[in-house]
Amino acid sequence: MGNGTEEDYNFVFKVVLIGESGVGKTNLLSRFTRNEFSHDSRTTIGVEFSTRTVMLGTAAVKAQIWDTAGLERYRAITSAYYRGAVGALLVFDLTKHQTYAVVERWLKELYDHAEATIVVMLVGNKSDLSQAREVPTEEARMFAENNGLLFLETSALDSTNVELAFETVLKEIFAKVSKQRQNSIRTNAITLGSAQAGQEPGPGEKRACCISL
Amino acid sequence: MEPAERSRVPRIDPYGFERPEDFDDAAYEKFFSSYLVTLTRRAIKWSRLLQGGSVPRSRTVKRYVRKGVPLEHRARVWMALSGAQAQMDQNPGYYHRLLQGERNPRLEDAIRTGVTPLPRLEYLNRTFPDNVKFRKTTDPCLQKTLYNVLLAYGHHNQGVGYCQGMNFIAGYLILITNNEEESFWLLDALVGRILPDYYSPAMLGLKTDQEVLGELVQAKLPAVGALMERLGVLWTLLVSRWFLCLFVDVLPVETVLRIWDCLFNEGSKIIFRVALTLIKQHQEFILEATSIPDICDKFKQITKGSFVMECHTFMQKIFSEPGSLSMATVAKLRESCRARLLAQG
Repeated sequence: MGNGTEEDYNFVFKVVLIGESGVGKTNLLSRFTRNEFSHDSRTTIGVEFSTRTVMLGTAAVKAQIWDTAGLERYRAITSAYYRGAVGALLVFDLTKHQTYAVVERWLKELYDHAEATIVVMLVGNKSDLSQAREVPTEEARMFAENNGLLFLETSALDSTNVELAFETVLKEIFAKVSKQRQNSIRTNAITLGSAQAGQEPGPGEKRACCISL
Repeated sequence: MEPAERSRVPRIDPYGFERPEDFDDAAYEKFFSSYLVTLTRRAIKWSRLLQGGSVPRSRTVKRYVRKGVPLEHRARVWMALSGAQAQMDQNPGYYHRLLQGERNPRLEDAIRTGVTPLPRLEYLNRTFPDNVKFRKTTDPCLQKTLYNVLLAYGHHNQGVGYCQGMNFIAGYLILITNNEEESFWLLDALVGRILPDYYSPAMLGLKTDQEVLGELVQAKLPAVGALMERLGVLWTLLVSRWFLCLFVDVLPVETVLRIWDCLFNEGSKIIFRVALTLIKQHQEFILEATSIPDICDKFKQITKGSFVMECHTFMQKIFSEPGSLSMATVAKLRESCRARLLAQG
């Protein structure tokens, strides 16, 4: 997966990061988009986003990744943030069982607000702290399998699997979109889920695919 | 020549914050040399005003506060104007009893996640990593102070408990007062009285105020209102941080403190004045936005640069640029927006 230039892309995929406060969502995002990690990143308030353009085969895909505050009560204001998302990384801290125990609740929230076709990966973060592990890999893997989710363990700190996690999600979305496009040649309607009103690209944006934001 | 010039502005500001890498020393120096004159003039005036001992509540004080409370008097003036001092005097020992009260593991965990997420990695600091006074290596380290203030507040106001955002506010209060108990009572003044219900689980007050801002923009800056509608972007994406952190980490420290001077004296409508001024000043720039990420980005950019750094001019602008904005207008809009939100469910 190579880097394309920022301005030149064929697709925009909106991907959301969700999970409890303190699991490392912001660091996963900064590792992927800027190759940075901070021990002392500030708590996220509201919603932030970052982008990175990557090449999938011959297509340039702009990943637009939205990061949100994990605190439960913030869901009162962040549910709008799922709108138009085609991918999600549901993150837990594998050294803190409580953050895994509530994964099902996050999944429900996601499916309540996003399209049913959204690509979801369960991500156990902080794999560098293996001596403090509280969630066995197999347990999380089984849960993911039973719920039709992709699964990986990552470390935003030492970079393990971060690239792979985002890449896998983006490829999966890309495969779905490509399939949709094939079909749309017949049906003349491109959707993955449905494009949201008001989320069409503006006049300055490329519009190779209407799932762009 | 450049390195010598750089060294003239200290790398750490008076509040303990490290200046960011991209800090514009030249622009800051230019501003500060003239602001220093203002500060000195204000300091003399305030010393005279406070000679009697108490902080009077008068038109003069309102004018004085709008022109900035000197740092050396800030804690005392905030305490007096917000009613925090009166509360503290009427409830001696209350703060310390809160800290010794029955433990609440859920609350403690929530605060720890927002302040220091992993107890075993004690150097972690999620509130002000760039402030030397909040570092574990500094003695006394303000992280413990911050934790105490938030814990006491969670015990005191159980309907709110702890909400991220309060950590940034309490952190600033601690930096200004250097006093745990006073910080607690000022936090209570803000969360309990001055701000309407921003941090409770439903965050209805916050949602309401974001709608109110939307209505004010519609009325005062209709082109921006129309753009928001066309892009289908919700205000919460753009301004939740402004409201929840009261501009901490959004605007420069000095500017935030000047805004808070007025907030403690005149109430929450000040937040709308600041927001409207930022939007109005950069209206043309905002109107260039063609997508939601684009407008999100622009709303970040308008909180940077010389316009917001020059806090004295900025504070004059917030009282002239947005036009009239009475508390009665805000109250009326809040009522209708709240009703609309409740009807939506």
